[in-house]
Amino acid sequence: MSAGQAVFSGWMDIAENPVHPQARTHAEEEVLSALVSQYAGTLYRVAFSVLRNPADAEDAVQEAFIRVLRHRDTLGEVRDQRVWLIRIVWNIVLDRKRRAKTRPETDDVSELARVLPAGGLTAEQIASAAQHHAHVLSCVDQLPAKEREVLMLSAFEELTSVEIAEVLGITESSVRSRLFRARNLMADLLNHSRSLR
Amino acid sequence: MNPNPFAPDSACGALPGSAEETLRLIAGLPAPQGLEDRIHAGLRAAEPHRARILAWPAGLRPGRNWVHGAALRSAAAAAIVCVVAGGGWSIYARVQQHRPSTAVALPAHPAASGGFSNAGAMRVPQTLNGPMLIHPLTAVQTPAKAPARTARKPLHREQPNAAGKTAAQPSADK
Repeated sequence: MSAGQAVFSGWMDIAENPVHPQARTHAEEEVLSALVSQYAGTLYRVAFSVLRNPADAEDAVQEAFIRVLRHRDTLGEVRDQRVWLIRIVWNIVLDRKRRAKTRPETDDVSELARVLPAGGLTAEQIASAAQHHAHVLSCVDQLPAKEREVLMLSAFEELTSVEIAEVLGITESSVRSRLFRARNLMADLLNHSRSLR
Repeated sequence: MNPNPFAPDSACGALPGSAEETLRLIAGLPAPQGLEDRIHAGLRAAEPHRARILAWPAGLRPGRNWVHGAALRSAAAAAIVCVVAGGGWSIYARVQQHRPSTAVALPAHPAASGGFSNAGAMRVPQTLNGPMLIHPLTAVQTPAKAPARTARKPLHREQPNAAGKTAAQPSADK
């Protein structure tokens, strides 16, 4: 090694990348496409549970995948892609919800009756069920933010308490304690409203 | 793997079954038809395009690993050093040229063709008016000695009682 090379070797050495850049880009695109196919539905449900509007939920999923596209170089470093994606879309929907506070809520009864599945129910039953669901969701909205977030995420069967903790950035014990409080508060709210009727 | 704490048999609080059913219903909604296709289309639209007007030459494109060649790297480093040093020297040299000029020389204004010139006249500032003397000093002291010297010779030739008159005043008698 010459003197010049010795001088430059300390600060100009770049690791040789055996993978051709085009091949790497192509592989990243394939990974991204697979992520869309696999997790678009899950992310949509997570987004809808917060936003309760199909169009907004779809926009949030789209934005989440665009963020992934921009940071696709870091895809290889992600340990659990599903939790990572849910965390991305969760932050997006919370941000959107915060910004849309002044706008009118979209989770009215007619919207719920249109969105929720009604297998073999009469029109009257569908309207009644929608009214009940709207009431439950209004009680959920009255919960403190921390408890509400845990309760909504815990409704997803595919998420364990460890994964919920990862999405929210808290410990598993915090998830359990918050969930306990949320369920008790929900029970109180529902009993209170029932006694008023 | 930890189970979901929302399971009905878990002891995390007492949530009524109807509320649980609602939350599960919301969480289990099917994705709308064509969601994946729309997302794919959105990703294709959001993908950064290559520049069409200003683009790297094919051999120097950033993704081509051209910086890995030792000779090219050395040449690039040398070029950067030359540019920085040359720029610094040019600034230094320019500053050195301007330093000795401490006095500012005003350029002579050429007379405009067809205009008026001052004809060498200089403006004298107007001074303050001093106190007015009623009796001039020349009549009291200095003229008494000076004319006496010059007027001595004619005094001998003329009459002695004319000594009080000066040589400067003969025209006044006429």
